[in-house]
Amino acid sequence: MVQSAVAMTVVLCSFAMLFATMFLGYFLLRSNADVWPPVEIEGMPQGIPLVSTVFILLSSVTYYFFEHKAQAKKLLFSLTIVFGALFLLSQWLLWGSLADAGIFVSDGMVPSMVYDFTWLHAAHIGLALILLFWLGFFVFFKTEKLTKLKVINVGKFWHFLGVVWLLMYLLIFVL
Amino acid sequence: MAFVEQHIHDEPKTFWSKYIVSYDHKVIGKQFLWFGIFFLLVGGLMALMIRWALAFPGEPFPIIGGLMFPHTGGVIPPDTYAMLFTMHGTIMIFYAITPILIGAFGNFCIPLLIGARDMIFPTLNMLSFWFQMASGIILLVSLCLPLGAAAGGWTSYPTLSTTLGQQGLGQTLWTISLFLLGVSSTMGAVNYITTIITLRAPGMGYFKMPLTVWGLWLTSILNAIFIPVLGAGLLLLTCDRIFGTTFFLAGAAATSGKGDPILFQHVFWIFGHPEVYILILPAWGIVSDLLSFFARKPAFGYKMTALSLSAITILSTLVYGHHMYTTQMSPLLTQSFMTLTMLISIPSAIFFANWLGTLWKGSIRFTSPMLFAMGVVFVFGLGGLTGLYLASASVDLYLHDTYFVVGHFHYTMAASVLLGGFAGIYFWMPKMFGRLMNECLAKWHFWLTIIPLNGIFMGMMIMGYAGMHRRLYNPFIYEFMNKLIPINTFVTWCAIAMGLAQGLFIYNFIKTIFFSKKQPLASNNPWEVGTLEWQIPSPAPHYNYKEIPVVKCGPHEFGNPNLTTGRDFQYQTEELVD
Repeated sequence: MVQSAVAMTVVLCSFAMLFATMFLGYFLLRSNADVWPPVEIEGMPQGIPLVSTVFILLSSVTYYFFEHKAQAKKLLFSLTIVFGALFLLSQWLLWGSLADAGIFVSDGMVPSMVYDFTWLHAAHIGLALILLFWLGFFVFFKTEKLTKLKVINVGKFWHFLGVVWLLMYLLIFVL
Repeated sequence: MAFVEQHIHDEPKTFWSKYIVSYDHKVIGKQFLWFGIFFLLVGGLMALMIRWALAFPGEPFPIIGGLMFPHTGGVIPPDTYAMLFTMHGTIMIFYAITPILIGAFGNFCIPLLIGARDMIFPTLNMLSFWFQMASGIILLVSLCLPLGAAAGGWTSYPTLSTTLGQQGLGQTLWTISLFLLGVSSTMGAVNYITTIITLRAPGMGYFKMPLTVWGLWLTSILNAIFIPVLGAGLLLLTCDRIFGTTFFLAGAAATSGKGDPILFQHVFWIFGHPEVYILILPAWGIVSDLLSFFARKPAFGYKMTALSLSAITILSTLVYGHHMYTTQMSPLLTQSFMTLTMLISIPSAIFFANWLGTLWKGSIRFTSPMLFAMGVVFVFGLGGLTGLYLASASVDLYLHDTYFVVGHFHYTMAASVLLGGFAGIYFWMPKMFGRLMNECLAKWHFWLTIIPLNGIFMGMMIMGYAGMHRRLYNPFIYEFMNKLIPINTFVTWCAIAMGLAQGLFIYNFIKTIFFSKKQPLASNNPWEVGTLEWQIPSPAPHYNYKEIPVVKCGPHEFGNPNLTTGRDFQYQTEELVD
């Protein structure tokens, strides 16, 4: 079933273009602005995005070991899902703390960017979690149908989203 | 890639499973075809309304004018005019050409022409159609809103397309429906690319595929990569409209950071230029095949045609700036885009020359698919050449947003793609629905379409060259334009003639499908060509191929003097005769 690998590659190219366009817009708007950030935003959470980054990186690490190690597969897989869910939770908290600080999506360029990017990314994480749950069915129940290819395909998607988050974190929150 | 044989499913029995929620690529293709033809008629009606308003301002639109615009007595008001050209463009591109050329032909032809039983992901295929249906319904709903549908041009540039320019729900629904359409197209693209890579019959290398498949494959690659760019742009526009972000609003508030309307243009045209190649590549592929079939000659320079199409696909990603020459980009950037745009004419000229080489000294059968294919050669020649005028930045500064551009893209899109689509419908009708369409009506349809078509769009190019601007409710408010009023009226009469001529096609189409039960079904191969789908019965059975064919030669093996079978062509499953 190499067809699924081809399809997942095409799908990831499509999603990469989606995020690339967002990054292009961010790059153009930021480089054309006289000063960045245009207005000092008080209360922009610094810790929560870092926590999100840690969670998503951990989830990629556990998935990597799930793919390659022979033991503790179910544990590693469950940890991946747990970290993924924790990532989404941390995004929720991020949005909550932004709202608490009075920073809403219509408040200018930087909040627009932050909200838009994180919404889009979170939507894709949602999709990826559904895929992980689907894979989990094979990990826990129908283990004989758990093919290497399924694991690799889902892994590609999950790692892709991790890379996108890393880029987002570095370009929007850090730099 | 390892070939995988798909197993034969049971035939679906109920009306619901046969025609509504079918997984069969042929049924889904036909669903796209009906969908596309419906919207073609809606878009065509809008075009006629635009032409009416331009040639007969102040006159009520006949028959339905009074119903649609009671408060003006049937006359098309200016804000409706804006809606009309917006929706005409949107509908024709995304809801007529995309479903017919890519949805219908892609779905129907790809598995059949490569010797497969279905697409690789039938469920995804079905979802793709239903997403498109949802998208179409939302768009039609937007026509009925109190403040009307989107009216910012199909290119929906901000600031006009933001809430500052378009207050109603219409523009928002437009962006949402286009986003859904993008999702549908991407699903289709994933399906087509994977199917062509992995399900080709044994023996069918890439350079033994029919050129139709090449066109559809390259289109899908562009689709998969660039539709998400439109998606992102639309997402940002939707956020601007619904959530109050300021991506495209310049200096919305002095302290909140500036957005940039030109950013939308960049994002839109990074998608938009590949999009126009997406629309035409299937038609190029179909015409390349049909010219060979009906000239009874091998496709001249088959490999070069395939490689030229690929080169165009790659180059098309690099030329988007030629839509933005008037946005005061840096001259260096402008010159780079101009050079690349002119460069793209080289592979286009190569495969065009190959078309002519295919026709040269051919034993031409003037059947309706061939007439339409040759029509494409003619109109694409004209349309493509006028593209060179527009590629030159200095000339474009004058011609931008005039009717010259409108004439150019209609020659390449409305004329070439539409005629190519008709050619394909006439050609594959027996395989789709079991019977050939009436040849006499088809020929009348051809001539009554192509002559007025040239009248319309050549007229537009002349008017554009004289300086008539597009998207104006009353272009004749400028004194210098008054000399062009006769041409303008001529164009409208041609449009009416062309519009009425499509009635012949609709009548023929409906009659062949629904009211021809007394006629016998067509034979397996009424056109006498050698591609795989003509070896199975007409209409194609639900499993396509009882046994997966093994391909031994190319799709255009005509006129070999050493053939002993009495035919002048070889089926792709026969060993090549030396």
